[in-house]
Amino acid sequence: MSDIAVELESVEIRSPRQEAWRRFKKDRTALFFLGVFAVFLAMAVLAEIFELEQLDTVKHGGAVSYQKTLQQRGHELSDPVLEAFPESSTPPSSKHWLAWWGTTAAGKSVLLRVFYGTKVAFVVGACGALLSVLIGMTLGLMAGYFGGVIDEIVVYLYSTLASVPYLLLMLALAFIVRQGPIRAWYDNLWLKYYVSIGLFNIIVVIGLTSWVTLCRLVRAEVKKVRELDYVQAARSLGFGSFRIMFKHVLPNVFHLVIINFSLTFVLAIKSEVILTFLGVGVDQEPSWGQMIADAKSELMQGIWWPLAFSGGFLFLLTLSINYVGDALRDALDPKLKH
Amino acid sequence: MVPFIIRRVLYSIPVLLGVAFITLFLFNKAAGDPAAIRLGKNPKPEAVKQLRKEMGLDDSFAKQYVRFLGQTVSFDYGRSWTDNTPVRRIFTRGIGPTLSLSFPAFTLGALLAISLALFVAFYRGSPADKALTALAIGGISISSLIYILVGQWLLAENLKLFPIWGYETGVGAVQFLMLPILIWVVLSVGTDLRYFRTVALEEIGRDYVRTARSKGQTEKRILFTHVLRNCSIPIITRLTIILPFLITGSFLLEIFFGIPGLGSTLYNAIANSDLPVVKAFTMIGTILYVFFNILADVLYGTFDPRIRLS
Repeated sequence: MSDIAVELESVEIRSPRQEAWRRFKKDRTALFFLGVFAVFLAMAVLAEIFELEQLDTVKHGGAVSYQKTLQQRGHELSDPVLEAFPESSTPPSSKHWLAWWGTTAAGKSVLLRVFYGTKVAFVVGACGALLSVLIGMTLGLMAGYFGGVIDEIVVYLYSTLASVPYLLLMLALAFIVRQGPIRAWYDNLWLKYYVSIGLFNIIVVIGLTSWVTLCRLVRAEVKKVRELDYVQAARSLGFGSFRIMFKHVLPNVFHLVIINFSLTFVLAIKSEVILTFLGVGVDQEPSWGQMIADAKSELMQGIWWPLAFSGGFLFLLTLSINYVGDALRDALDPKLKH
Repeated sequence: MVPFIIRRVLYSIPVLLGVAFITLFLFNKAAGDPAAIRLGKNPKPEAVKQLRKEMGLDDSFAKQYVRFLGQTVSFDYGRSWTDNTPVRRIFTRGIGPTLSLSFPAFTLGALLAISLALFVAFYRGSPADKALTALAIGGISISSLIYILVGQWLLAENLKLFPIWGYETGVGAVQFLMLPILIWVVLSVGTDLRYFRTVALEEIGRDYVRTARSKGQTEKRILFTHVLRNCSIPIITRLTIILPFLITGSFLLEIFFGIPGLGSTLYNAIANSDLPVVKAFTMIGTILYVFFNILADVLYGTFDPRIRLS
């Protein structure tokens, strides 16, 4: 008896999640990029904790220069600070840590803005992807599980939405959220103390436009899972529909949700840049999109460093999520076991 | 085939009705009062009232909806609010410049992506495959705005290889179009290469490839006769679905390079709250999208005898 017990113990039993992690770990590059992502997350948290935007002056009247802000914050204005921050742009220099990556055409620290932009990117990416995934997952689950009229309504909803060219829909929505009744509703909301209208705008637009892919996938998968024996068993035990849907069916399609979250995260960050450039995105705080939009005129004056740093960070974050997303897909796909 | 097409067309009618509803609701309700938007900042209340009456905004939403459907069917969306040209003429005016940019860019990009995909599929696992795949994932991670900004700054401003901005009708357009076409190709090739490579590798793993190999076929012949034939179905489907976007054009490229196409027209219309133009473009874009999707399904059935359209 005891011999058998020993043998059983030596066989490693892994849950599907451990199995996926084991496969993910094999890809060293994916681990590296996961690390890069963690560094970005840390940057975003740091920007939030230290309220970096307070050091920047965009939120407080715009024209105030660094010298004044630093003075207001009780900094001794020694010569190196004054030297590092003339009213106009300076290339990267070691004079002061705020000027390490140079200053923008308006004399703002590129380093600070890039850090703060990381926070904006994470807020837009995480909230936008979360909203989109929640809509897509719930509708997909309901359509796949209940079938019938609900299914038909959901399918109609997403085929209609998917028929409008994506960028057009996004731009039109961004334009609409900014003005009219939705804006008035936002202005009366507690939310405005936490999320600026520009950010809110992008999050809503991403959430409302990008859920279709996930919804389709989840619906198709749930239709299959619904017929499996264990779901039938749960039903015969008298469990409620919502319990079965969220507790029994959802875990089986959750890999789709995770992968789609990473894809939408990237989409949201990239959209922030484009929407901001087109003038319907973030405008009350520094963001990568804003820096890239400003770069259009800065480049013509030979000021390349704001673009280099904001674009470089945008690239690194996007690349790491893209790569980790690819590796996740490979690790979580049950068809690709071994 | 014919019953299938008829059914698909009939099925797309509720979708188009839905899009018309969304469009009208978004621009006539959710965006605020169109009459007030048209009159600009701080309009007089009497003027707004007068204009609302003229524009038929006091009618019930159902009545406005029916009127909008009528406009869509007759392709007559009235006149632009900014320069009073008929929307129809704005559309026909912009389509030439847009296609002169998008069509060559699309063709070149697709050819390049397909050849590269076949190349990396042939040499799968080799350093060349790994390098190109890594390049593709790096390429798609760069914001399209960066490509345009850096391309324009480096190649046009500094190296003076291309003009920075502008457009001419006729042959003169070529010099202005070269750089945007180049950027479009670079922008699209990464995504397409990744997709086509997956498609090709999936086919290479199939049984018929093993059979062909065991019969002693050369790897080259297997790739170009057997695999390419079978890959052509997903490739054609994907390319057909992209086609409507060639007509709506590229916002960013047209704005940056001053090409007076539909993309930049639409952008200006949105920026100036020119609602008739925006509504018209939304509907036209959707109709094109639906049409090309049906076409893709039909092609799918024609090229793949295993699929019965019924």
